[in-house]
Amino acid sequence: MIRRSLIWGTLAAATMLTPAFAQDSTVRIVLNEEVDLLEPCMSTRSNIGRVTLQNINETLAFLDLRQGGGLQPKLAESWEQLEDGSWRFHLRQGVTFSDGTGFDARDVKHSFDRAMDPSITCEVPRYFGGMTIEAEVVDDHTIDFKADPQQPILPLLLTLISIVPEETPVEFVREPIGTGPYTLTEWTPGQRIVLSQRDDYWGETPAVTGATYLFRADPAVRAAMVATGEADISPSIAALDATNPATDFSYLDSETVYGRLDHSVAPFDDLRVRKALNLAIDREAFIGTLVPEGALLASAVYPPPTLGWNEAVEVWPYDPEEAARLLEEARADGVAVDTPITLIGRTANFPNNVEILEAVQQMLQEAGFTVQLQFYEVAEFEDLYSKPYPEGRGPMVVVAMHDNSRGDPSFSMYFKYASDGRQSGISDPKVDDLINRAQAATGDEREALWKELHAYLHDDVVADLLLFHMVGFSRVNERLDWTPTMATNSQLPLADIAFK
Amino acid sequence: MTSIDIIPDEPKPLVRFARMLWADKFALAAVLFLTLVLVLAVIGPTWLGEVAQKQNLRGRNAPPFEWERGWLWILGADALGRPLLARIVVATQNTMMVAGGAVFFSALIGTVLGLVAGYAGPRTGQAIMRLADVIMSFPSLLLAVVVLYILGPSILNLVIVLAITRIPVYLRTARAEVLEVRERMFVQAARVMGASPRRIVFRHILPVVLPTLMTIATLDFAFVMLAESSLSFLGIGIQPPEITWGLMISQGRQYLTTAWWLSFWPGLAIILTTLSLNLLSGWMRIALDPTQRWRLEMRGRRNG
Amino acid sequence: MMSFIRKRAFASLISLILLVVAVFFLSRLTGDPAALYLPSEASEEMRRQFREIHGLNDPILVQFGRYVWDLLHLDFGDSVRRARPAFEVVSEAFLWTLQLAVITMTLVTAAAIVVGSLAAFRVGGFFDRIASLTSLIGASAPDFWVAIVAIVVFSVGLGWLPTSGTGSVWHWILPIGVLFIRPFGLIVQVVRGSMINALSSAYVKTARAKGVRTRPIIFVHALRNAMLPVITVIGDQAAALLNGAVVIETIFGFPGVGKLMIDSILQRDFNVVLAAIMITAIAIFIMNLLIDLAYALLDPRIRY
Repeated sequence: MIRRSLIWGTLAAATMLTPAFAQDSTVRIVLNEEVDLLEPCMSTRSNIGRVTLQNINETLAFLDLRQGGGLQPKLAESWEQLEDGSWRFHLRQGVTFSDGTGFDARDVKHSFDRAMDPSITCEVPRYFGGMTIEAEVVDDHTIDFKADPQQPILPLLLTLISIVPEETPVEFVREPIGTGPYTLTEWTPGQRIVLSQRDDYWGETPAVTGATYLFRADPAVRAAMVATGEADISPSIAALDATNPATDFSYLDSETVYGRLDHSVAPFDDLRVRKALNLAIDREAFIGTLVPEGALLASAVYPPPTLGWNEAVEVWPYDPEEAARLLEEARADGVAVDTPITLIGRTANFPNNVEILEAVQQMLQEAGFTVQLQFYEVAEFEDLYSKPYPEGRGPMVVVAMHDNSRGDPSFSMYFKYASDGRQSGISDPKVDDLINRAQAATGDEREALWKELHAYLHDDVVADLLLFHMVGFSRVNERLDWTPTMATNSQLPLADIAFK
Repeated sequence: MTSIDIIPDEPKPLVRFARMLWADKFALAAVLFLTLVLVLAVIGPTWLGEVAQKQNLRGRNAPPFEWERGWLWILGADALGRPLLARIVVATQNTMMVAGGAVFFSALIGTVLGLVAGYAGPRTGQAIMRLADVIMSFPSLLLAVVVLYILGPSILNLVIVLAITRIPVYLRTARAEVLEVRERMFVQAARVMGASPRRIVFRHILPVVLPTLMTIATLDFAFVMLAESSLSFLGIGIQPPEITWGLMISQGRQYLTTAWWLSFWPGLAIILTTLSLNLLSGWMRIALDPTQRWRLEMRGRRNG
Repeated sequence: MMSFIRKRAFASLISLILLVVAVFFLSRLTGDPAALYLPSEASEEMRRQFREIHGLNDPILVQFGRYVWDLLHLDFGDSVRRARPAFEVVSEAFLWTLQLAVITMTLVTAAAIVVGSLAAFRVGGFFDRIASLTSLIGASAPDFWVAIVAIVVFSVGLGWLPTSGTGSVWHWILPIGVLFIRPFGLIVQVVRGSMINALSSAYVKTARAKGVRTRPIIFVHALRNAMLPVITVIGDQAAALLNGAVVIETIFGFPGVGKLMIDSILQRDFNVVLAAIMITAIAIFIMNLLIDLAYALLDPRIRY
C-alpha cells in the first residue's frame, strides 16, 4: 500500500503542487484531531461527529444553530407529546439507507437500543442518566418513546442518536451505514477519510459532491494548508493565525472556562471568601490579550443562546479593594483564609492555558490569597475534577472547560451543581430542587426556572469562579460560502457548504 | 602516555593553559560566556526574580529593541508582558540544574557501566548491554508519565527521567571504545606489567574514551533542554511560575509566526550554551592531549 | 558467528520479556483508561461496564496472564480507542516510521562522514569552523522552529512543496530535511573528533611516513579506525528515529509510530502501547546486533 502510494505520488506530484480546483465540487477539510473511530453511536465525540453527523448518519431532529430556528425535523417529520407524557414521532417515508434497505421505525428502535446497550461502550448513555426510556414501534412510520421520569426535552435528547439500519451489529463498526447524503468511500487510518455523495438520497442534493478529511495536530499548519490551497476548510485554527479577514471567521464555540470550587473544604465554605475570589479577577483584562477578542465574560457554565439564559445576572466586577476587605472580614471571624490554595489546570486544555492560569494566580495573590499553580495531564486531572474527590485535599480551584452546544442547561446543571453531580462542588437543597423542577418543566415555566437557578447560583451561592465563554476561529477558502457556527465544534454538515 | 616534560623553562600549568586559551579565541569566548551563565545561574533568581514574574497584560508580546522601555525589555516581553531578558536570566539556574544534572548523571552512569561492560567478562557485559537495549526501547514519555504518577512532579524527578533515557548512548559509546582500546599495545603492556583492571580502565582507557563522550555530552545538553520543554506540556517537572529555557520555548511556540522573540531568545540561549560547551570541550581535547598541544602552543607563540 | 547470533537472540528475548513485563505493569499504574475514554460526566455504572468489557476489573495478574496467553497465540489484543487489532494499527504506522528512519539515517551518515572528515583534515581551518558552527547550531535548535519556518518559507511563501501530509515524493522532503539536522550535527562532531584522534595516531603517521598519498590515508586508515564511536552514535540516533519523531509527525501530519505511541500512552490504550514498544524494540535490538557485528568487521581484534 505504501509503495503504491509512493508510485502514485511520483506520478501525481506535478498536479498535486499546482492546485487548480476552481471548478472542483469536492472540498477538503483539515481537522485538528485524528478520527480513530467512525462509530455512529460515538458521534457525540466531536472528532467523530464532525465527519459522520448529518453527512453519513442522520438523526430524527436537529438543532438549528445556523439560522437560530430551534429544533427542526430531519428523519422525523413531526412529533407530539401524548397524554401520558410519552413522545410520538412520525417518521419520514421513502428514505433509504446507503446499503439500499428502507428506513422505518424498527431502525429507530434498534439505533436507540444499540446506543444504550451496556455491552458496547457508546458515549450516548451519559446524556440519559437518571431516566429510563423505552422505544416502542407503533407502525412502520410511527414510534413512541416512553420516559420515566417524563422528559420534556426528549426530542432534543434524540438529536444525539444517529440512526443506523436494523441489521447493524451491537459492536463497533468501521463502515458506518446511514441515511445521509454521503457514504464513506475511503478510510486510510491516520491520513484521510473520503466521503462521496450518494445518488439516492431522500432530500435535496447538496452542492458539495464529496469531501476529504485530513488531520493535522498543529494549528499553524492547518492555517497554512488553507492558505496554500491544500485544504478548503480548517474548522479550528489559532486566534493568532486568524489574520486574514477574507478567509478567517470567529465564532462562539460553546466552551466555557471556569474554576470549580469545592464548598466542603475551608476556606471555600465561606461565602465571603468565594465572593473575594470572584472580585479579585480582572476578567476584562483578558479579552483581546490572552483570550481572543469576541470571547464573553461568563456568568454560567453554558453559553448565552442556551434556554433560560438570564440577562439580568451581572458578571462579577473587578474590585480588589472589596475582595481584600471581604478577606479581612473572614479572617477576623477565624476563617482560614491563609490556607494555600491550589489552582489546578489541565495541560493543553485550551489556548493560552498556562498564561491564563498564571495571570489568574497573580490576580488572586494580589488580592491576598496564597495560591500555587499545578498542571496535570488528563488522567490525573480527571481524578481531581470528578467525584469521588481525593481524601485530605486542600482547597482547590479546578480550572476546566465545559462544552454545551445543545441549547438546554440540563446538559450541564445536574453534573456541575446537583448534590450528587459528578463534578459538583456544592450541596444545596434549593439548587437540587430547582434542577429537578426545571428538568420536568416545559415552555415558559422551564425557562423561568432555569433563569432563577442561573441567578441563584451566580449571585447567592457564588458556586464557582466563572471565567469566559470561548471563541473559536475557522479558516475557509474564498471559493466557499460557509461560516462556522456554535455547532461547528460538534458537527460540520457538508450540505451547509455552498460554492460562490 | 603521560610523558614527563623535560623542557627547562616550562611555565606554571595555569599560565600555560591561559596562554593556550588566548591562542584559541573561540574557546576564549566560550569560557567567558559560560562564566557569565554560571554567574547568572547563581545570582539570577535573587537579582531579577521579582521583575521576571511581574505581569503586565498591556505590555504583552512587546517587541524587542525598544530602548524606551528600559534595558530589561530589550529582548521584548512574553505573553504576560514579563521582560524576556529578566526571565532568561532567572531561568538560568533551573536550566543548569535540570540539564546539567541530567547530562552529568547520564554521562557518569553510562560511562561507568560502559567501561565495565567493555572490560568485564562476557556475561556481565552481555547483561549490561541487554539492559541498555531495554532502556533504549522504553519510551521516555511513558517513563515520564509513570514517574509523574508515582512520585509526583519535581525538578529532581525530571532530572531522573531525563538522565535515565540518555544513559544508553554513553554506555554504548564507552563500551565500543573500550573493546577497541583494550586491544591496543599500551593497554596490553600495562596488563602484562600487572596493572589492576581498575587502574587500566581509569588510567589508560578512560582518557582515550573521554573526548568522544564529551562531544556527545555537550550536544546532549541542548537535547535534554528541548526534551524538557516537550515534557512540560505534560505537567511533569517545571511548573509555572518556575521557569527554564525549555519551558519558555514551549510557551513561545504558538507565537512563532506572530511574535518570534518569545521562543527565539531562550532558544538562542540554549544554542549559545551548547556551542560554548562544545568549543570548550574541543579546546580541552587538544589542550589536554600532549600529542596535540603543539597546535595551540604554536599558534599562541605566533600570536603573542 | 552463528553461535554468537543465536546467543544474542536468546539474550534479546530475555530483554524483550523484561520490557513487556515492565511496560505492562508500569503502564497500569498510570490511571484508569475508563476515566479517559468516557466523558467526565459518565456514571460510575458506565465506567464499571467499560472496565468489565475490556477485562480491566480482573486482578492485574489475571490480566497479565491473559495478555501473555494471547501473545503466545500472536494476538496483541485490540486497541480500546480504535476498536481495531493493536498490531494492525502499529504495523501500519511503523512501516512509515521505518522508511523515514532508513532514508534519513542513510543521508545523514553519508553527509556527516564526508563533512566530518574534511573538517578534521585541517583542524581550526575555515571549512572546519564553518562546518562545526553550522552543524552545532542546527543540532541545538528546537526542531519545531525549523519545521514551522520551513513550511512558512517553502510551502506558503515559495509554494514549492506541500505543507504536510503524505501522497507524493514531494511530501517527504520537508520532514526528512528537518529530521536530518540534529543527527547530522551530532555525527559530524563525532566523526570530526574521532578523525582528529585517528589522524594523529601512530599507524597513520607510519603510513604517512611511508609516503602514502593524502587521500587514501584519510579514507582507508583513519576512517576505518574512527568508525567505532561513529557507528555507535549513528545507532543511537537511528534508535531515536525508530521510536518515532513526535514533533515532525505532529507538525507534518506524518502517520508514524511516534505520535501513535504518545497518543496511546496519554489515552491509556495499553495494547497499542505494548505492541508499539515490542515492534520498535525488536527493530532496535536487531540494529544494535548489526552494529556489534560491524565492530568486529571494522576491527578484527575485537572479540566478544
